[in-house]
Amino acid sequence: MIEVKNLSKHYGQNTAIDNISFSVEEGSVVGFLGPNGAGKSTTMNIITGYLSASSGTVTVGGFDILEKPNEVKKLIGYLPEIPPLYPDMTVEEFLNYMYDLKKVTIPRKKHIKEICELLKISDVYGRLIANLSKGYRQRVGFAQALLGNPSVLILDEPTVGLDPKQIIEIRNMIKELGKSHTIILSSHILPEIQAVCERIIIINKGNLVADGTRESISQSLGGENKVTLCAEGSESEIFKGLKNINNVEAVECGGEKEPGVFEYYVFAKKGCDIRRDIFNYCSKNNYPVLRLVNSALSLEDVFLRLTSDNNIEENPTNNEESGDKK
Amino acid sequence: MKAITKREFKAYFTSPIGYVFIAVILALYGYYFFQVLMLHSSSFISSVYATMFVWGMMFIPILTMRTFSEEMKNKTDQALLTAPVGVTAIAAGKFLASFAVFAIAMTATLIPVLIIGFFSAPSWPVILGNYLGSLLYGAAMIAIGTYISSLTQSQLVAAISTFGISILLLVIDQLTSLVTDDFTVKIINWLSFTTRYQPFTKGILSISSIVFFLSVIAVFIFLTARRIENKRWR
Repeated sequence: MIEVKNLSKHYGQNTAIDNISFSVEEGSVVGFLGPNGAGKSTTMNIITGYLSASSGTVTVGGFDILEKPNEVKKLIGYLPEIPPLYPDMTVEEFLNYMYDLKKVTIPRKKHIKEICELLKISDVYGRLIANLSKGYRQRVGFAQALLGNPSVLILDEPTVGLDPKQIIEIRNMIKELGKSHTIILSSHILPEIQAVCERIIIINKGNLVADGTRESISQSLGGENKVTLCAEGSESEIFKGLKNINNVEAVECGGEKEPGVFEYYVFAKKGCDIRRDIFNYCSKNNYPVLRLVNSALSLEDVFLRLTSDNNIEENPTNNEESGDKK
Repeated sequence: MKAITKREFKAYFTSPIGYVFIAVILALYGYYFFQVLMLHSSSFISSVYATMFVWGMMFIPILTMRTFSEEMKNKTDQALLTAPVGVTAIAAGKFLASFAVFAIAMTATLIPVLIIGFFSAPSWPVILGNYLGSLLYGAAMIAIGTYISSLTQSQLVAAISTFGISILLLVIDQLTSLVTDDFTVKIINWLSFTTRYQPFTKGILSISSIVFFLSVIAVFIFLTARRIENKRWR
């Protein structure tokens, strides 16, 4: 549905995005992650035709954004970072204006009413946008994006300024919309991306650093297979015993958590699952296992690792990690 | 384009700008009308419109300053430019809305003339010439102002720059007395709005003047559209 090829954008000397390529299939929900200034909004602005790329192409639904801008724009509903609202209009006037501007053909009254009910803005329908709270403005902006029922939705930080209850409502709505729409969603709220998106694209400093499901990204990072163990028994005995298990690279002690119960961090070689071996060792030696957890990388870990690469590269002892990413 | 014109036109009247603009134009018109026609017992309506020409040039920047500057500042241009509308339609839509406000003010100035028409026989060709002339120079000035507004986010900068240009266009033919070079004089006369406007005040429908003003409008709508398009690439 959306095809982005070798996209670059320079603002004078600054490079906002640098040779990004990805494609989004019809009906999928993709999360755009990245720290502030990574190039998320720029990428979205280019896909929607607000900006033009310095080089590279974008096609949506088979239409090139430069050759057939109007066809592409008809397919896309866009909620920019700052909702494009006219403060001097009422919600009613604004939605009707956007309806005309987008040349929507669905019956007007019913369509606008449905969208207002979906976003729960019916009770502010007659009010001036200037007098609305941030949460309501965000939702009016969202409503504007849904006008004409476009098959692609591009949402730049859709839950900014909403209260926790509204955030959950909007998330559920995005999930619901995701069944029938292609959605690109940007955010720097990680649980949000995790809750809504099946696929994640991480951008840092204008470069695409990861693309895939959360699991596949954390796997490709080659997470070090760290297992946390809480077992009862002599600390030094268990420490020695764990070290002798096959494929174990290192063991660290985490100290006494309860009387007689110690915590250990066991690091295994890449690609080895040592949980069973640890359990067998403990049961054979009668050390009651109180906790055994495989600490896979969470999205937070993945995100921090991928986006703080400068620190790693500057640090010569971590050369291997930075090599992994490239 | 229709949607844009409609919204812009409405926006003039949800804020006081539209009302104030029309009210001030009509008040000034009323004053000069009274002075010339009543106090001097003259039917020389052209002098009233000639004065209005100057005032119109000065007030039009207020009308056009917000057209694009405000959109850029509020980031509402994102909705406009990601909607399936061409850039020329956006530029033309904005121009038409500003022009409509100006046209309302100018059309209202005909009311006193019509009333006089009941009591005497004024020279209708002169009146209509003046009216048409004012619409044309106003439209050309609005096209220039709209273009200048698309250059900056600041309404104030847009207004002052447009103001500067309209004053330059008013005084430009005074430069002819300072220049001796025939060619330069020709260029100045060609550019001067005043010389183009003059035939209308005599009730002459000058085709070359009409074409001149229409071309200015077309050129500046085109430039505005290019400017919007160009902004995407920077």
